[in-house]
Amino acid sequence: MTALDVAAARSGRRRQWAARPEFAPLAFLILLAAVLAVTTPAFLAVDNLVSIVAQVAVVGTVALACNTVILAGEIDVSTGSLLAACSLVFGAVANSVGGVMLPALAAIAAGAVVGCANGLLVTVGRIPSIIATLGTLLMLRGIMLVKAAVGVISLPDASRALGLDFQLGVPVPVLILFGVYLAAELFMRNTTLGRDVMAIGSNGRAARFIGLPIGRVKLLCFTLTGMSCGLAAGVFFGQIGQLQATAATGFELRVIAAVVLGGTSITGGRGSVVAPVLGAILVGVILNALTLNAVPETFEQFILGLLILVAISLDAIRHRVAARRA
Amino acid sequence: MTAISGTAIGKRAAAASSRTMLLAAFFVVEVAALGIFVPGWLTVDGLLDTSRIFIESGLLALGMTFVIITGGIDLSVASLLALVSVVIGFSHQAGLPLPVAMVLGIGTGVGCGLLNGAIVAYLGLHPLVVTLATMALFRGGAYVISNAAAYSEYPAWFTTIGGFYIGEVLPAQLPVFAVLCVLAWMILEKTPFGRRVYGLGENEQAVRFSGINVAHLKLKVYGLMGLLAALASIIETSRISTSRANMALGLELPVIAAVVLGGTKVTGGSGTIAGTLLGLLILSYLQDGLQFAGISSDWGLFITGALLVLGVLVNENAGRNRG
Amino acid sequence: MGQVLTSGSIDGPRPVTSESTRPDQGLEPTLGAVPVHPSAAAGQDSRVLCHMRGVGKRFSGVWACRGIDLTVLAGEVHAVIGENGAGKSTLMKLLHGVHAPEEGTIEIDGRALTFGSPRDAEAAGVAMIPQELDLFPDLSVCENLYVGRQRPRTRFGVFDWAAMRREARAVFAKLGIEIDVRAPVRSLSSASAQMVEIARALIRDARVVLMDEPTAALSQQEADRLFAIVRDLCARGVGVVYITHRLEEVFENADRVTVMRDGARVHTGPSRDLTTHSLVQMMVGRPLQKFFHRTARSPGAVALKVEGLTRRGAFEDVSFELRKGEIIGLAGLIGAGRSELAQAIFGIAAADSGTIAVDGRPVSIKNAATALGHGIAYLPEERRSQGLHLNFSSPWNIGFGNLGGLTRFGWVSPAQERRTANQYQSMFSIRGDMNKPVGGLSGGNQQKVLLSKLLFQKPDIIMLDEPTRGVDVGARAEIYRIIDELANAGKAILMISSELNEVLSMADRILVMYRGRLNGPYEGPDFSAQEIGFATAGVRVDGTEARP
Repeated sequence: MTALDVAAARSGRRRQWAARPEFAPLAFLILLAAVLAVTTPAFLAVDNLVSIVAQVAVVGTVALACNTVILAGEIDVSTGSLLAACSLVFGAVANSVGGVMLPALAAIAAGAVVGCANGLLVTVGRIPSIIATLGTLLMLRGIMLVKAAVGVISLPDASRALGLDFQLGVPVPVLILFGVYLAAELFMRNTTLGRDVMAIGSNGRAARFIGLPIGRVKLLCFTLTGMSCGLAAGVFFGQIGQLQATAATGFELRVIAAVVLGGTSITGGRGSVVAPVLGAILVGVILNALTLNAVPETFEQFILGLLILVAISLDAIRHRVAARRA
Repeated sequence: MTAISGTAIGKRAAAASSRTMLLAAFFVVEVAALGIFVPGWLTVDGLLDTSRIFIESGLLALGMTFVIITGGIDLSVASLLALVSVVIGFSHQAGLPLPVAMVLGIGTGVGCGLLNGAIVAYLGLHPLVVTLATMALFRGGAYVISNAAAYSEYPAWFTTIGGFYIGEVLPAQLPVFAVLCVLAWMILEKTPFGRRVYGLGENEQAVRFSGINVAHLKLKVYGLMGLLAALASIIETSRISTSRANMALGLELPVIAAVVLGGTKVTGGSGTIAGTLLGLLILSYLQDGLQFAGISSDWGLFITGALLVLGVLVNENAGRNRG
Repeated sequence: MGQVLTSGSIDGPRPVTSESTRPDQGLEPTLGAVPVHPSAAAGQDSRVLCHMRGVGKRFSGVWACRGIDLTVLAGEVHAVIGENGAGKSTLMKLLHGVHAPEEGTIEIDGRALTFGSPRDAEAAGVAMIPQELDLFPDLSVCENLYVGRQRPRTRFGVFDWAAMRREARAVFAKLGIEIDVRAPVRSLSSASAQMVEIARALIRDARVVLMDEPTAALSQQEADRLFAIVRDLCARGVGVVYITHRLEEVFENADRVTVMRDGARVHTGPSRDLTTHSLVQMMVGRPLQKFFHRTARSPGAVALKVEGLTRRGAFEDVSFELRKGEIIGLAGLIGAGRSELAQAIFGIAAADSGTIAVDGRPVSIKNAATALGHGIAYLPEERRSQGLHLNFSSPWNIGFGNLGGLTRFGWVSPAQERRTANQYQSMFSIRGDMNKPVGGLSGGNQQKVLLSKLLFQKPDIIMLDEPTRGVDVGARAEIYRIIDELANAGKAILMISSELNEVLSMADRILVMYRGRLNGPYEGPDFSAQEIGFATAGVRVDGTEARP
């Protein structure tokens, strides 16, 4: 505005970049990778890097969709059970029909139905989303346990392609993750509903004032999350090959952790499309580093928890300091 | 509950007490129906014995009621339970006298609860995110300390805490739990601290303007949660006479479900111990009855989830009509 | 008095410069709101954009405004002034469709409209720039202009961000503002954010722009800039209606002025026909009379002494002494820094520098608990969000500020709680069911409950922030009586009020805050209403600015 303001804005372009939500996790990831590249030669091998991404592809895929729910100011904790349930559908269709396409479509459809139900409970039923999706989480897990009481379900080798195959020399899970990421970018950047997601999460009151379709947008976000679970189910089941009723227990929290670690605010509005991928890869890199350095497996969760806690705390302190300066 | 309407918590209290009555009626119908349709289930022994299982989550639910009334949430309770158990077990293994190990365990529980509270209170982070992180941290700590091994060399006196029956039928922990329930109810309804807990959940800013230190209040609430997690841990460890890192895996969700089914609003400011207790009893006995009838106990989770959604659906929409 | 006022910058005609900056041609097609009538700039005979006829609106049975006739002309700046509670904001909300009028009609371009929502109002070409900006803080400036609107697409079907940024930059260029349209709104100063709101109105082709105290948070340069833009808008045929408390702005910028008092329109006319003197008189009513006859008091020792208190951006170098048994009135405009000052003394948001002494001893106040420990209590301005727990009963709320006072052996004593509540209920004649949630009581009764809560904290120094806001006339008188009694009982009272009448009637001495600095004290009991009225607007009676 004033000359001073403009000058500050120009010179502050760099600072503005630093204020972006994905800056801190990206900086942390690069720093971590740099340290690992020096200390652990095996880390930088292409195979290792690709396998890291392949390992986090399932979490990343679901997190990309869950990210939209969180950006819109809601939350979805049902993804763990939903992933398992979709895998069950995938397995059932694969075992009767075979192939990959039909099972995947069936799983995605199943996911869409449950996601839509979540969305309706939140928008029409006006149940707080954490409760609604917690209920779905428990119900689906219950069904899983009952259904799978017969034992372990395995997948015919031909139907494991989504989890194991390579296309163009790249693991299919990585391609799927990348594809979903592109779709998410397209949706969030280039559709009106996608832009509305950010607006609703940023200032719900103003969104209502302007007359944005809040209910429809949230319903869509929940449905997309369900569909992403269906898609990820093919990858997940393909990778593990055998499905137990307790599969993917606690997965929902890894999804939320990926979203939050990647820089999306849990209270909505603030964040980026790439956040969940960043967060998932960050977790993957940390776990990989522990494995490469022969850190006992028992330390994994502790170190992961500690890093998440330190990361979010530092970010909070950074914001506090910035707010005090302003 | 109606007695307090003299001191008057108002509409919320009236709504809460009518909801409590509804839950109580539901519980009675449930037990009666199970008694009729599941022959042999409805016995005093059976009812009492089941309490051994749900008391541990019941203790967590008591603390969780306080946390959720303040408008917060704690996902780390089950992990903390495992951590405390492992701390007790492996410090005992390392040669610490068991009573000292237990004190150490309780200290761990309170300390970890305070850690949650401090981060929530002083950094202004959302409790969901904070306790999601400490959930992994505490569980991970349990794995590190135990090296993924189990410890079960507990002396006989210790295992009687969770396995002793008074007069052959009454599990020893039941009276303990009953006393703690009454204590929690009195603290919540009758003390200045309880008043502040309600006030914090309804309007944090007004609490600050009333000259109350909000940060200290949050510290106390999460610290109390940690203490109760430690007590639950001791009882469970004693009952199964084993400490291992994967104890109580996923227990936080049914605990939250019981509290919310009991009428505590996740947005804070309302909720009762009686409601939580009823939520707990309804879920536990339904599961127990079905299991007794030979229906897979796995339906329990489904029913928990369905009741949770239905209960809150009824609650929210009934509240809307009234308001 | 009159002679003094006739000269100088205050009541002089609107500067000719603003006339000359109004070309009747040269409308930009992208912004082209309405074809401007050739005589748009002439004032009286220009086209009527908006016509309100006999509009009225009630809140819980009380008319907030009634029988309002108001026209907005193309190309005019129309200022609406009046004391707090005069009904200005309600009027704006009616025009913006937030409320539907219960009486009367609103016409845009001669077509009667019943606004159902702000969206409908916006569709009819009415845009509102609220006092508390309602933007999307996490979205970019450019994005904020496009939320809820059709976005352009490239031939590949994706959003044409380049085109959107171009258009956004063009809008700001026309406003004469350089702003980074990619920056998130969160990172902007409040002045810049306000420009974004204006740009949003422009890009929506708004023809009537409503502004609620647009300059409250702006520096002088920023305000000047804003009015340059407002005049530019008018040149494009937009009608601007704005609420303000700053009288000097009215003369510098407005073509016409509407004065409101007690929910009614008192006067509408060209600003050049008015003087500050006549404006103040119309605002406060004539003749200015004391509506409460307080008892004579003899203040005692100094209870609270504040020296050089400063908080950057809020208030600066504030010093005053408050004596026992005395009421100091703290007058000023909204946003002058009065609440911030009281909250700093109360420990809610500490001052950067300066000292506070209670009973002659310097004290360090870190939070509200320590303030209460020193006997300082504060009645917050925002009753519903800062004061009360609306879902809980009156006794619960009264006790909440001093739970120790209800506690026997660690337990809250229900008997003591009841006794306390009964005592205050009869003392304040609180009406309504005490056992029901306090949110269901009327504003006056809620305020009495809040006062009870404050008194139950047993303070010696009492700071009251707008103690009668949203309180009906009957309850007001009772609240005044109570404040008077408290002072007689030796309490030291600092009363913040935006209602001049109230301050004049109640206070022994008056301090006036203007943009974070104190003027005064003015000694009572016979205050000059004009002198103090001017001081709140930052001018002296002789027409010079009170502060550089």
